Amino acid sequence: MNVSRTVGWLLWCYPASWRARYGKELEALIMDMSGGRRVSWRVRADVLGAAGRERIRSVGLSGDRPGPDRVRGGAVLVMWAWALFVLGGAVLGKSTEHWQSVMPAGSGHATAGVAFTTLIAAAVVAGLLVLVAIGLTLPSLLVFLRGGGWRQIRARILSAVGLTAVLVAATIGLAVWAHGLTPPARNGHDTAYGIAFLAWAALCAATLLAWTAAAASTARHLDLTAWTLRLQARLAAAATGAMGVITVATAVWWAVVASASPAALTGTPAVSHQSAFVWQLLVAMAIMLCAIGLGGLGARRAARALPCLERG
Amino acid sequence: MNSRSRTDEAAAGRSNDPTILILTSLAEGEKHGYALLQDIEGFAGVRLGPGTLYGAIGRLEERGLIEAVEGSGRRRPYRLSGAGAQALRCALAEMRTIVEEGSARLTRRPATVAGAFAVTA
Repeated sequence: MNVSRTVGWLLWCYPASWRARYGKELEALIMDMSGGRRVSWRVRADVLGAAGRERIRSVGLSGDRPGPDRVRGGAVLVMWAWALFVLGGAVLGKSTEHWQSVMPAGSGHATAGVAFTTLIAAAVVAGLLVLVAIGLTLPSLLVFLRGGGWRQIRARILSAVGLTAVLVAATIGLAVWAHGLTPPARNGHDTAYGIAFLAWAALCAATLLAWTAAAASTARHLDLTAWTLRLQARLAAAATGAMGVITVATAVWWAVVASASPAALTGTPAVSHQSAFVWQLLVAMAIMLCAIGLGGLGARRAARALPCLERG
Repeated sequence: MNSRSRTDEAAAGRSNDPTILILTSLAEGEKHGYALLQDIEGFAGVRLGPGTLYGAIGRLEERGLIEAVEGSGRRRPYRLSGAGAQALRCALAEMRTIVEEGSARLTRRPATVAGAFAVTA
């Protein structure tokens, strides 16, 4: 890779606003330092680290930002955590869709049922909390759009809309295909369909992340009142708490089903020596735990900035 | 490391702070990024990376401690603002206090402690 391409790639790691202000100067400096030869790994690591710090600063997650920016940054981080959590939940949902019909009655079925219902209820509550948090920003969003803000968020929104259109078309195509397949073929026996399903799942994840990125980018531009920010901080804490409840309920459900009927974990008919450590559940749990970690950081960040809002 | 004495190490944490190094460098006159890096390496023996330098420049400019000067091409020079000069004076005074206090305490240090340290070393 030649020097200018390397520098271009390094600069791309910075937030657009930072790049617009300092990008050309930093590019000139790296060129001067490299003297036309390849950019050293030390310089690359330094620039990448600095770009990461600027990205964190740009979303209000570093310590030297005003209170409103910190609340906003914390709430946006919880929104990202929720998006990640939804991905983990989707993996969990896919692998557990038939557990009730496979698990024999008795032997912990009721306990597993209560845990699963708690999981679903907490997921609904968390989803509603996120929707309320987004809804609270709508008046500010309207003001922002009336003030000509559309240009600043257009690129992200349009890419999310484009991905959504592709997803809708892919979903229709996949549904038509699935309609002509037998249940076993839909559940892993048809390789081509399995690959298409994985591609569709990746598209779902990309669309969810694109909308989250669009929402996060938009939130940065909104002028939110202190009242809205206080509510955002509390909703962020509540949503993180709901994610915690979902994770605990999942762990309880997993433990009960694993001890009574491990085959039900994958929703497949009973097989001998089915392990309790199903990879789909392990992946789902790992994603959910990462999301809770992120959500906890965001909620704490927002809560700690609340006294600054009170003073302001 | 021409003007750096051993006692300055007492305030090393502070003196390695890129923002202090940049303010110190600009106290002598305006400089662009590459000149800043070379000057800082010359007087402090610290090799800042370009990302670290521009991260610190951004923060300093945001706080009004330095100002960009219209430069030729893409090498834009920076200069110290009035607030920046004041901030540097405060930071240096703080560091001087630490250096003087540390030096005084080392002078007052009991000989037995020094002897014991020498034996264990």
